[in-house]
Parts: sequence; C-alpha cells; structure tokens
Amino acid sequence: MNKKRSFIHFGRNQNILFIVLMFLGVFLVMQFRAVTEKTNEDGTSAREMASKLDVERSEGKKLLQTLTAMEGIYAEKLRNIGEKQGDQAFSDLLEERDRVFFRSGLTDVKGEGVILTMNDAVNPGEMAIEEYIIHDSDVTTILNELRLAGAQAISINGERVLGLTKTVCAGPTILINRSRYAVPYEFKAVGDAQKLFQALDNSEAVGILRLYNIRVEMKMATEITINRFQTYDIQELMTGLEVVAK
Amino acid sequence: MKTGKLLALTLICFVIGVVVTWQYGSVKSNQQIASFEKKRVSELVEDILLERSNNEKLQSRVDELQKELAAFDSEESGSKDALDKLKASVLQARMIAGLETVKGNGLTVELDALGDRIIEDRHMLELINELRASDVQAMSVNDERILATSEIRKAGRYLMVNGRQLVTPYIVKAIGDPGKMENSLRLLGGIVEKFELYEFQVTITPSDNIIIPAVRDDGTVLRTDLMTPIMP
Repeated sequence: MNKKRSFIHFGRNQNILFIVLMFLGVFLVMQFRAVTEKTNEDGTSAREMASKLDVERSEGKKLLQTLTAMEGIYAEKLRNIGEKQGDQAFSDLLEERDRVFFRSGLTDVKGEGVILTMNDAVNPGEMAIEEYIIHDSDVTTILNELRLAGAQAISINGERVLGLTKTVCAGPTILINRSRYAVPYEFKAVGDAQKLFQALDNSEAVGILRLYNIRVEMKMATEITINRFQTYDIQELMTGLEVVAK
Repeated sequence: MKTGKLLALTLICFVIGVVVTWQYGSVKSNQQIASFEKKRVSELVEDILLERSNNEKLQSRVDELQKELAAFDSEESGSKDALDKLKASVLQARMIAGLETVKGNGLTVELDALGDRIIEDRHMLELINELRASDVQAMSVNDERILATSEIRKAGRYLMVNGRQLVTPYIVKAIGDPGKMENSLRLLGGIVEKFELYEFQVTITPSDNIIIPAVRDDGTVLRTDLMTPIMP
C-alpha cells in the first residue's frame, strides 16, 4: 500500500507526466499494430504469389516433358514414312534435318568442356554493394571469353545460349532467353576443356570478379551435356525475316 | 522515500527510452522489409506472367504437334504433306543456324571513332547486347553474322569478329523492330549518349530492306567437331 502510494504521488508534475505517458502508450500500441499488420499482409501475398509461381513452373515442366516425348514420336513417325516409301530424297532430307538441328542448337549435345559457377560475394567489402553482385555485363564478358576460347555450345543454368540470346539484368536476377534466373549461375561450355579452362582462369574478366570476392569456381569435365535451345514458338525467332535466295 | 521515487521515475523513463528507440529501429527495418517485400511481390507477379505466357506457347505447340501426328495417322494425307513439313522445318533450322541470307525491316548502326579513344571489344559487346535485349532477329557486324559461337576480340586498333579482322567504320546491321531498337539505344543515359561522350560517331539508320548475309559455312564459325548430338 505504501509503495503504491509512492508511485502515484509525483507532486505537481503528476498531470503532465500522466498525459505524456498516456500519449506514449497509445502511440506505441498504434505503431506496433501498424507494423505487425503491414508485414503480415505483404508476407502472405508474397507467399501466395510464390506458390502460384511454383504451380506455373511445374506446369511448364510437365508441358516440356510432354512436348519432348511428342517430338520423339514425331521424329520416329517421319523416319517410318521415309522407310516405308524407300524414298531417297526423303531420307536425305531427314538426315539434313538432324544435322541442321544439331548445328543450330536445337539438339542436346555432349562433349568435353568446362563448368564455371558464379555466385555473389559472401563478404562484401567497403565499396558500394553493386560492386559485389553479378551483373549482366559480367555474364556477357564470360560468354565472350568462352567464345574466344572456342566454345562450341554454351548454356547458363541449363538455358542454351545462342547468338541472339538476351541476358538482361532484372533486379537481382538475370533474364536469359525467356526465363529468369537468380544466382548462382552455372555456365557449361563444350569445347577443348584445357583451352577453355586456361583461357578463363587467365582472363581479365574472371580476375576482376575474384578481386571483388565474387565466388568463381571452375572445373574441367570429360563429358558435359548441354540442353538444346527450347523453342516455345519457332516463328518468334524469325518474325520479319525473309530468306534471300543465293 | 524521495530517492526511491526518483529512482523509480528514472527507471521508468529509461525503460521507455529503450522501448521507443527499439520500436523506432524496428519500424525502420520493417519499412525496409516491407519495401523489399513489395518489390519481391511485383517481381513474382512478373515471373508468373512470364511463365504463363511460356506455358501458353508450349500448350499451343503441343496441340499443334498432336494435330500433325493425327494427320500422319490418317492415310489420305499422304507423304507429300510430310515432305513439305520436313522441308519447312529444315529451312527454319537453317535460318536459326544463320545458314541463310535474310532480309527484313530493321536498322544499321554505323560506329566510328572521331577522337583519341578507339572502339574496343567491350563497346561492341555492349552495343550488340543492347540490340539482343530488344528482340533482334538477325544481326551482323561488318557483314559477319552474329551466331552462338561469335566472339568479339580486340586486335590492336581494330576488332575481330568470327576470326575476321574488321576495319572502321563498324556497321552493325540488325533485323527487328527498328523503333524499339533505336529507342533502347537512345535511352537517356543509354549507349548512344555514352558513345558520344567517348567521341564516337553513332549513325542510326532505320530501313525496311536490311540484308544480313549467311555465315561463311567453312567450319570456322559454326564449329561442331568437339561435340556429338544426343538424338531424341
């Protein structure tokens, strides 16, 4: 009782103190509620979107599998038609089709080569944070180094890189062809493994990346498989193009 | 009693001070988190739209293929049809491989160094990449077709593309949407502005008759000797 009284009796400042404290209390509660509500709301919608994205992605994977299987059947059927007819022109054309698909990047390929993995710096130093993350220009430079060293087929995170493949920075991710990828980036290149490895290891581009603590790992491999270029709509690659007869 | 009161008051004020500071800090970080979340949500939405349009394309491709397979099965649509399809497919692949000379709507970018600074490989890479980002359909530098294996190399004062030495002015030809390509090059703070600072002369000419030659088919550019195809 005595103690309680001592807390209540502050003398002349009592009223002012009471108002100040009450104001503070209300302010704190309001603030706290506002903050928790806000994070909850955004948290759920981000989660919702992420699960929607997962659904779309797995749908895409299934469609790709279906498509690949159907293309196999299609090729088989064509071969059968060719054989049934015993038509040499038809068989030649089939052979040419396989060869041109191979040369244009529309077929999976394998061979020796290198695998390079790139990831953002773990411990950024004192410079701006932009210096320690991977940009599209880094990707472009690595691609050019690989091409300089005679790479015959290249993919990034399983996405086949053709001559006109776009690699565009989009926030912390990079758009490659038609899909977006986040770090780490895995470059696979088929070619002379020794030559590719040495060219990369000695390149200015990799040296600079390492200087900024960007994690670059490289290894040679005797057999690398590189996916074909995934055509979603082949016409999209040649809208507005007209073949000029030689 | 008086010291007790003072002590209690000090304690309360201290606690409030700590709470307010802590709360302020957490509000600030929460705001940061909220802005990250907002960015993340908009990125996710973009990704979903991208995946969705990819999936629609895949679905229509599956449907199309199904129809073609059904047509093979029905006897009356004879081998003539299959032969035509095969021919078309070979031609499409040849276009993707760069084995056909193509023409279309697009633009040329002429690039020359006026000042002391020379045009380096990274400048050319940047220009080419900018055009790739605006959905170019075919591209060449001084008539060297840009393909999956095309490198840009600095050799002395000049550039090499596809193992060929080029001389200035460099003429980049691109088939695609000329408006879209020119806009992306002329962005504020974009590549043209930058090149002009370097005293490079940049001349962009849209044309509806850009002709881009086929690749030299002698095995120097389209190299496949170190790999084998995996057939479906």
